[in-house]
Amino acid sequence: MNEPLLAVRDLEYVYPGGVAALRGLDLRIEQGRKLAILGSNGSGKTTLLLHLNGLCKPTRGEIRLEGQPVSYDHRALNDWRRRVGLILQEPDDQLFAATVSQDVSFGPLNLGLSNADARERVREALEALRILHLADRATHTLSFGQKKRVAIAGVLAMRPEILVLDEPTAGLDSHGVTHLLGALEQLHEAGATLVFSTHDVELAYAWADDVAVFHDGVVLRQGETVAMLSDRELLRRARLRCPLLLEVAEALGVEVSAASPFRSREALLVLLQERCAGQG
Amino acid sequence: MRAIDHHAWTNRWRDWHPVEKGLPAIGLLTLTLILPPLTTAPLVLAGVMLTTVYGAGIPWKTLLSVLAAPATFLLAGIPFLAISIDFTSGFALTFSPEGFQLALQTMIRALAAMSCLAFLILTMPLTDGVLLLRRMGVPAGIIELILLIYRLIFVFAERALTGRQAQAGRLGYSRLDRSVRSLGLLGGNLFQRALEQARRLEMGLMARGYTGELRVLTPRWKLSWMRLAVGVAGVSLTGLASSWLARGLL
Repeated sequence: MNEPLLAVRDLEYVYPGGVAALRGLDLRIEQGRKLAILGSNGSGKTTLLLHLNGLCKPTRGEIRLEGQPVSYDHRALNDWRRRVGLILQEPDDQLFAATVSQDVSFGPLNLGLSNADARERVREALEALRILHLADRATHTLSFGQKKRVAIAGVLAMRPEILVLDEPTAGLDSHGVTHLLGALEQLHEAGATLVFSTHDVELAYAWADDVAVFHDGVVLRQGETVAMLSDRELLRRARLRCPLLLEVAEALGVEVSAASPFRSREALLVLLQERCAGQG
Repeated sequence: MRAIDHHAWTNRWRDWHPVEKGLPAIGLLTLTLILPPLTTAPLVLAGVMLTTVYGAGIPWKTLLSVLAAPATFLLAGIPFLAISIDFTSGFALTFSPEGFQLALQTMIRALAAMSCLAFLILTMPLTDGVLLLRRMGVPAGIIELILLIYRLIFVFAERALTGRQAQAGRLGYSRLDRSVRSLGLLGGNLFQRALEQARRLEMGLMARGYTGELRVLTPRWKLSWMRLAVGVAGVSLTGLASSWLARGLL
């Protein structure tokens, strides 16, 4: 088996108070895939994500970046954080500058780029998220969805190989979700590896290539999305429900697999129309 | 404050180089402070107000409400300059003509000076104003601090507002004693959340390579010598007109 881009082995993290958040967890992040870390609220997903770019140091366990064990010294950390970009759930935790373009320029300047190169990176990142028109706006006048996109642009401007997003759709309305996923899909097509945490099985089912089912500080299983989400026993243990589309497919006797995933509501409508026409 | 900030970001002269707005405003402020107030201040006041409204496109209502706050203080305090208290033979209040003149001068001078500052805060977002400070040699650390505070004020103002509404929804402000209690709780809560916010913001920044310095790109303005020249000419004309008036009147 190929070496994954980022591999986590036997990760354990105990909070200073003695509460264990992660208890011996394994995770593989494969190049060019979209991985959902799926788990209920408060299960420790955010803590796990903070380990993926060295913001938290594990109490035990190992993280490998392209096969090399990571180190926590200053220079190694900088390189690691450039390669693995993390976007927090709450954009106000990440945006500090008064205007959008200033905020996005922060990362590129920390990479030591010249002003001209940084300016180019800012433009590129804002364009990728289709928010170039917000460049000169004051950060505090943005809507939540806009802030979210600016926060992503701020990380994207550092050109990371892996983009890690904590609950990317939380707090967005359906239009905002569509818009955001569209932008992320484009990044993915351009070659980015995406990792996102979510408690939303429907989102994971509709959008992820792979799912890691996370519960109570461990990854119960990780694998291809359809295989994971049709495993009732696994979902029950993680206190998750089966995605609606998958349940409907089962009830209608449709074969669902990674090859014919039956993932969109459009596919469902086509199927239902066919069935109704067949009866009538 | 929201209104001021809104206009600062959206007025007609938003894209002008800060120096083009800052230099004339500071020039007029200086004239107001050094020249005889009775001839200079009315000119400055009228000139700045007309420029703010018809030049930068700030509504009269906003401008007047910005000036209203200091004007109230002036109205409350100034009359006492025109009255002198005499303790030599008991206690007597007397009206003095010199005092009255002084009161009038102080009043008009303060208003004119305020109008210059109002023009600045209404046409220039704080972030641009900070550039002027940087040009004047204020250390980078202080400038970072100003900008961070500016950003966080809005984050906390929002928290404070929702917190207050949540308390009011549960009758936290239904009586005076409850109001005091609720306000105290809100303050304590905000303080805790501010610390928490700071911790998380640091994490968010560290994820983007933060190592202790908040370096960002400064906007690229093009200084228009034309506009700057017009501004400086306006200041000079005001100065000349004022001196000419002073010679004629006094």
